[in-house]
Amino acid sequence: MKNNELKIMGTRFTYLIIIICILLFIGEFVFHRHGETIIEDYLFFPAIFGFIAFIFIVFAGVLLRKIVMRKEDYYDD
Amino acid sequence: MMINFPPGLLMLLGGGLIPFLPNSIRQIWMIVILILSATSIFVDHGTHLLFETMNYSFIFWRSDALTMPFAIVFHIAAALNIFYGWHEEDWKQHTSSFTYAGAAIGALHAGDLLTLFLFWELTVVTSVFLILASNTPQAIKASFRYLLTQFTSGALLIAGTAYYISVTGDASFGKLSLDNPGAWFIFFAFGIKAAFPLLNGWLQDSYPEATVIGTVALSAFTTKLAIYALARSFAGTEYLIYIGVVMTAFPVFFAVIENDLRRVLSYSLNNQLGFMVVGIGVGTEIAVNGAVAHAFVHIIYKSLLFMSMGAVLYRVGTIKASELGGLYRYMPITAVCCIIGAMSISAFPLFSGFVAKSLIMVGVVEHGYIFIYLMLLFASAGVLEHSGIKIPYFAFFGHDKGIKTKEAPLGMLVAMIVAAFLCLLIGFVPSLLFSLLPYTVDYHVYTPSHVIGQLQLLIFAILAFIFLIRFNLYPPEIPSTVLNFDWIYRKLLLNIIKRLIIALNVVWSSLSSLTLSVVNIIISIIEKNSVTSGNAAVKVGKSTVLILFSLGFILICNYLLF
Repeated sequence: MKNNELKIMGTRFTYLIIIICILLFIGEFVFHRHGETIIEDYLFFPAIFGFIAFIFIVFAGVLLRKIVMRKEDYYDD
Repeated sequence: MMINFPPGLLMLLGGGLIPFLPNSIRQIWMIVILILSATSIFVDHGTHLLFETMNYSFIFWRSDALTMPFAIVFHIAAALNIFYGWHEEDWKQHTSSFTYAGAAIGALHAGDLLTLFLFWELTVVTSVFLILASNTPQAIKASFRYLLTQFTSGALLIAGTAYYISVTGDASFGKLSLDNPGAWFIFFAFGIKAAFPLLNGWLQDSYPEATVIGTVALSAFTTKLAIYALARSFAGTEYLIYIGVVMTAFPVFFAVIENDLRRVLSYSLNNQLGFMVVGIGVGTEIAVNGAVAHAFVHIIYKSLLFMSMGAVLYRVGTIKASELGGLYRYMPITAVCCIIGAMSISAFPLFSGFVAKSLIMVGVVEHGYIFIYLMLLFASAGVLEHSGIKIPYFAFFGHDKGIKTKEAPLGMLVAMIVAAFLCLLIGFVPSLLFSLLPYTVDYHVYTPSHVIGQLQLLIFAILAFIFLIRFNLYPPEIPSTVLNFDWIYRKLLLNIIKRLIIALNVVWSSLSSLTLSVVNIIISIIEKNSVTSGNAAVKVGKSTVLILFSLGFILICNYLLF
């Protein structure tokens, strides 16, 4: 029941984010955004950078797990 | 009235009375002392209190444009701690937390290196009880490691200070030149407390082991004192840019896989310190302003995040992501406050983090460090991942684990609401913060380009999170230990020492058995060749041979050595 409620919230949140993404998409053409550096002035640079960086961080974390993850009582031995 | 009393010392002495006060008036007493101490903020800039002895001037109270913003936020943090701990009846924690804040404020106002050292050490001895008070075997061990690292920092500071003073004759706590080897010692003393890469193990090791209110207090002072010290002595040191950028990047990956949410926040704290260190390294007016502004807002939103996780730990009894979820129904106010803290640290427009981080980013670009700028942008996406999303998502949403609990106690809620309000206030009215900074700020935060660029970065990163969750690609939280740099002394060095001792034992026992067999051979030779008299009175005993052998050994050693 409660997990169902969480699912509904999740779906609503997803829609909200997609709507904001669309608004930002439109805003990119309306406002002629300028970044602090030239490279940021490329179309959708921050959006693409943010998306890729996030996925990279998560997958790099998964790889890192193979190296640095130990049992919970590792130091208690 | 308080003009002759150093700001921190008042709290240290006032804190000494806390154990003798009944629970009902303890918090009121702390508030009164804190208000008296806070009057020091309004005193004119300059050197107010000198104590001269043996041709040395201890400067207990120096205030200027750099101390002021830190003094204000340290007092705010101390006040938040008092309200947050209102429910707690353990006098030890209150005494520790309050005197610790006093020691940090005292260090802030130190005008010379020896006074700084004095308060530097006091922050350690006052704060360690916040970890010890947890009273678990892990916490007790962690507190000893905490002492060890912090006293190492103190030892480096006093060694560096002694050398620096002996060479330059100048003991003032001001800009230090790295041409002097003593300054390097001081640099690393600050570096340990600022959790530089490789020196950061103590932070993630000890902070999550402290008590509920202990972690909130710890998160505010020690590391930001180090940031202040770096800003005072090493602003414009280029090394700091590279050290800082590594600090922003590497904790991000550890935070992704850490299960203990207070430990996730400790990694996040490390990453935030990185932004400040970069700002100090750039050293221009806008970058130092950015570092100070970031320290200011960071203390508030990081306290807020630690407070919300502390409230969860207090109510539920665990803070492991793998065991939490769905708490928003029972702790809605805590959840909202946590989200405000999360949005502040992620630097959403209209939240405090956006205001402060922008100054550092502009400072970096103005200095031409484009690669560093992109790295900081990358780290910003990392902040969003672990502090912006992971913390609120796994505690309050995620998967419902069927935990039934209730909202945090009133004192905790008051502290969280005030901190959340401050995050929004600074976000909406940045000029309030800018007016406190060391240099004049001529920068407009809210330009359409800046807001849209930042929103693109953050919203599309959230979209990436949704994408990973929807396709079951987001790694599940696993109960585990994530190795950090404290592994070097907790395992590696320990194992090396253990093996060395075993090897030493083997060498010793083989040497001693060899010696004994040599002695035995000598005895048998002597017995064989000695003249035995009629009554056997001159027979050579074993002890005689041993003495003879020892004397012979010393003789040979003497011959070889001298």
